[in-house]
Amino acid sequence: MPQPNTSYDAIVIGSGISGGWAAKELCEKGLKTLVLERGRNVEHLKDYPTALLAPWELPHKGATPRALLDANPLISKAAGYGEDTAHFFVKDADHPYEQEKPFDWIRGYQVGGKSLTWGRACQRWSPHEFVAPERLGYGMNWPIGYDDVADWYTHVERFVGVCGAADGLEAMPDGDFLPPFDFNCAELHLRDALRRRYRDRHVVQGRWAQLSEPREIHLQQGRGTCQARNLCMRGCPYGGYFSSVSSTLPWAQKTGNLTIRPDSVVHSILYDEVKGKASGVRVIDAHTQAITEYRARIIFVNASALNSTLILLNSTSRRFPNGLGNDAGVLGRYVAFHNYRASAHGALDGLEDRYFYGRNPTECILVNFRNLGKQDADFVGGYTTFTGGYRTRGVDAATRLGGTYKDAQAQPGPWGLYMYMQGETVPKYDNHVRLHDTLKDPFGIPRLVTSVGYDDNDEAMIRDWLTQANEMLAAAGCRDVESRDNHQAPGLDIHEMGGCRMGRDPRTSMLNAWNQLHAVPNVFVTDGACMTSTGNQSPSILYMALTARAANHAVEELARQNL
Amino acid sequence: MSDVVKLPPVTRRTALKAGSVVLGGALFTSSALLTACSGDRAAPPASTAGISTEDAQLLEEIADAILPTTPASPGARAAGVAPIVALLVNDCYDAPAQRRIRDGLQAFRALCVDRCGGAFTRLSPSERETLLAGVDAEAVKAGDAHWFHLARELSLRAYFSSETGMTQALRYVRVPGRWTGCLPLQPGQPAWG
Repeated sequence: MPQPNTSYDAIVIGSGISGGWAAKELCEKGLKTLVLERGRNVEHLKDYPTALLAPWELPHKGATPRALLDANPLISKAAGYGEDTAHFFVKDADHPYEQEKPFDWIRGYQVGGKSLTWGRACQRWSPHEFVAPERLGYGMNWPIGYDDVADWYTHVERFVGVCGAADGLEAMPDGDFLPPFDFNCAELHLRDALRRRYRDRHVVQGRWAQLSEPREIHLQQGRGTCQARNLCMRGCPYGGYFSSVSSTLPWAQKTGNLTIRPDSVVHSILYDEVKGKASGVRVIDAHTQAITEYRARIIFVNASALNSTLILLNSTSRRFPNGLGNDAGVLGRYVAFHNYRASAHGALDGLEDRYFYGRNPTECILVNFRNLGKQDADFVGGYTTFTGGYRTRGVDAATRLGGTYKDAQAQPGPWGLYMYMQGETVPKYDNHVRLHDTLKDPFGIPRLVTSVGYDDNDEAMIRDWLTQANEMLAAAGCRDVESRDNHQAPGLDIHEMGGCRMGRDPRTSMLNAWNQLHAVPNVFVTDGACMTSTGNQSPSILYMALTARAANHAVEELARQNL
Repeated sequence: MSDVVKLPPVTRRTALKAGSVVLGGALFTSSALLTACSGDRAAPPASTAGISTEDAQLLEEIADAILPTTPASPGARAAGVAPIVALLVNDCYDAPAQRRIRDGLQAFRALCVDRCGGAFTRLSPSERETLLAGVDAEAVKAGDAHWFHLARELSLRAYFSSETGMTQALRYVRVPGRWTGCLPLQPGQPAWG
């Protein structure tokens, strides 16, 4: 075996949204921290090659060449994938996996990970979401509740810069927000129409990691006001949205305590049988295949839900033959996701004399109204609905060609309203990932097998959502309402969660209330893998809050000589 | 009926497949901008036999009859859509669509001689419009498989994704600087690009 050649206080596996937070918190507390990223380096400003291009300056004017689609049938399905952003998505060939059931595993292998291309939604969980699975009988309790994370949400919101209104709603708590973006007039119409028709249907501004009005802390990060270009996924030269690359990683770098190693594929976490602790990480150089081992006192696993699970499954030792910390056999189990299958839209007459200015990078949210603290539907779990008003281009003309026709195509067209669901799914033992017995990836690491599917509860939720969406769009006065279930595979939501879940009981969970492996307390898993249930809110900010909380706990435990 | 308003709405999750796009929230309905290429993705990769420069130039002439210069803005020829059309067809469309366009243009050349006694480019603007209106009527009757639907789609896509179309027919602001949700529409104000 190669000899260890480098030691750190902490190793963070992954540089995405949670890894960036681990790096920031640990470096700020004085720990020499090594961040390992399997993909290439990406630096703020320098590595955003398409950020300033107008649509006509792109090679195919924004259309996606078939060669790109044919080479990447999987990743090209991802929201936001295109010739302007393809460089921030994994190529299909780079990391093959086996789909026992259809699962679209969307990944971004570069410094910054998927924080470069994320949706930027930052709603807090409601207190109900932590307790509903056990109270309403469809899952296991979290070892923590809303009160344990409330202050950490605030901590994260302040640094990230999250815009949103103070709505006072039980289903989606308020936070420390920057001013919200405006509604457009169709959205105001929808909000008011639903207010008149229902008592429980609140259309509000979502919470978005978008600097509507930067504060001092954001200026210190070198970030400025969002310019309403809505080109976030290319990387923002203004730092208008939050990513690891624009925010946490450069912040950590400024402490002098950070080392980032791109092109470093983690093979496994090393376990010291004598000390009963993890001792480091085995890394394969992505270019040379050379193996290096790095040592540290604590290890944060932030490789993204399924990759963190994969690394733990591949971290075998005499003590842990089935994967690190996997005494109970639940590692890789209880993988869940968000149900995005249903959407609806309709045309809205009127408001022809109203328009907008700029390109809005945010969306409205119709806050969850199902199973909020009590069972009131024929399915379990809740759903968040993203919604918004749009104005089409082009109006009817008397002819189908010629000057009148052309000029009509350039006019603002009718308004419309759309909705789509983000539904909670139930973590189940059978929905799992595991290592393939024989097939390996290009680095000789076993391929991941995905065996994750929908269930009857998901189908019932979709039926209800479609019924409600049709009814609400009709109530808002829409005509030509159309709704659909796109039957997309799990994973395309890019909200895969679980595989290494938190819980009170080591016999049924992997992680304790501080995201430490029950059996290996100097290993912390704080990305989507840790999720005990999915809730119905967008998950990233909870990963960030849990990461900051765990990192601070880790530092305290180190000081107490407990790790 | 306009061709671009009937597109389905899109969400951030389906944007690039739907012919219009939401990026992070705002929805821009455009058949031309930031859309994935059309065609069945299960189809074989694009053949090397796309369309020729001559085909692309003829398509530009057709596009200019559909979208001519008006007092409001330059037309498709002035926008120089031929190279964009060639790129879209050759790099983005699948082989069956490429063939449909090629065969359609070949038949169209013959039709021009038959009906008008010469090449399309030698016809007057009004002759072109009359001829194409006839072809369009046939296409509507024939259904989706008719080549002229692709010619129309290409014309709209190429024109409204060109710099001229985006900035002179539509209004594209590179850096809006702010978002204002609800404003009066000014008389004659074009759609945002």
